[in-house]
Amino acid sequence: MDLLVDSFLSALLLVASMDPEMVSIVAVSLKVSATSTMLASLMGVPFGFLVAFESFPGKRLLITCLNTLLALPTVVIGLFVYAFISRRGILGPLDLLYTQKAMVIGQTILILPIVATFTIAAISRIDERYRKTAKTLGANRRQSAFVIFREARFGIVAAVIAAFGRVIAEVGISMMLGGNAKGFTRTMTTAMALEYDKGQFTLAVALGVILLVLSFGMNLLFHFFQGRTRG
Amino acid sequence: MVYNISRLTKAYGTRTVLDVPLLEIEKGLIYALLGPNGAGKTTLLNIIGFLEPPTTGKIFFRSQPVNFSESCLQPLRKSVVMVEQHPILFTTTVHKNLEFGLKIRRIPKKERDHIIEESLDLVGMRNFARAQAHRLSGGETQRVSIARALAVNPKVLLCDEPTSSVDPENQIAIINILKQINELKKITIVFTTHDRSQVTSLAPDRYINL
Repeated sequence: MDLLVDSFLSALLLVASMDPEMVSIVAVSLKVSATSTMLASLMGVPFGFLVAFESFPGKRLLITCLNTLLALPTVVIGLFVYAFISRRGILGPLDLLYTQKAMVIGQTILILPIVATFTIAAISRIDERYRKTAKTLGANRRQSAFVIFREARFGIVAAVIAAFGRVIAEVGISMMLGGNAKGFTRTMTTAMALEYDKGQFTLAVALGVILLVLSFGMNLLFHFFQGRTRG
Repeated sequence: MVYNISRLTKAYGTRTVLDVPLLEIEKGLIYALLGPNGAGKTTLLNIIGFLEPPTTGKIFFRSQPVNFSESCLQPLRKSVVMVEQHPILFTTTVHKNLEFGLKIRRIPKKERDHIIEESLDLVGMRNFARAQAHRLSGGETQRVSIARALAVNPKVLLCDEPTSSVDPENQIAIINILKQINELKKITIVFTTHDRSQVTSLAPDRYINL
């Protein structure tokens, strides 16, 4: 118990002093997670919107497949991407392994199904009368789609926030594709795992506190936007 | 003549939900479609509002045959607006709800503001322009949705059971608004109801039993 209390107090001092190593780790985490969330959103939101808005054969099967991908373990994605970007892989010449770009690729794959399925859910929840109202007021297909998108906006923002919350806390992809290089690919989660291995808890607990605060902030935002969706 | 309809049917699978041998609707008048629940009143409104195609039959709209392919329907919808039984307003202000159809028609901003003010005035909702639409009561929502339809200056206004979801006070107000719209703007109005007293007050001589 003393160990935990001591570590926690030291961690708070570390956070208060804005330790440069800790700040650098948090900055890498935020940069990589924000980039992958942005990329996944750019692809996942339009894709999810199209899947939800359009009718086509195999739609239910596609949604089932996307839901299945939600449970994809990070190590499987790590292995999959590794096979492509390792020296023997087809993308080997690009020298991506153990770079932030590699982590972004892996993390984007991880959260793409989250963004897409949450977007599908947000669009599907929108009352069919919105589309009919837009049509009767003279809207064409594109304008009707915009109405649906606007009505689902809070749900879509919630999807993006949920994806960021998932990616900032993942460790498998960052470790396997980033390599945990200090000042370069070391993120909050990989640094915590390393500090734990070394038996030095102060930095690990400090990063844990920051991660928890970030997650709490993300959840607050998520519930705020979910609440707006329900009107 | 606004509509000239012959041998119109609508079937879902093997079940025929609507069968109208002949229906003619003249310009500038109010018509009632009278019938019990399930008689096909809403289906007929959807078809003449160009929101869904019939299974068989011919429709002439303003003397032109209607082609029910999506690309041909969209221009026709700019002349006919439907107000649903339980209308839904976009999650924004009342003003922006009315602005939607006007923006689609590329009406300039100054003119838009004037039309919105006039339309809200007509339904007695002028003071609600900046109100959030989703906070309005059922009667207010119904009035705003009529104003939203009016704003785009349609040739035909279709109202699906316009008073069924509002209190008696609002029922009288809505009936008066519909009468006023018809008198002032000469807009053809087709409404559905299962209430004979509404037919008596709005379209005593022009009702179609379904």
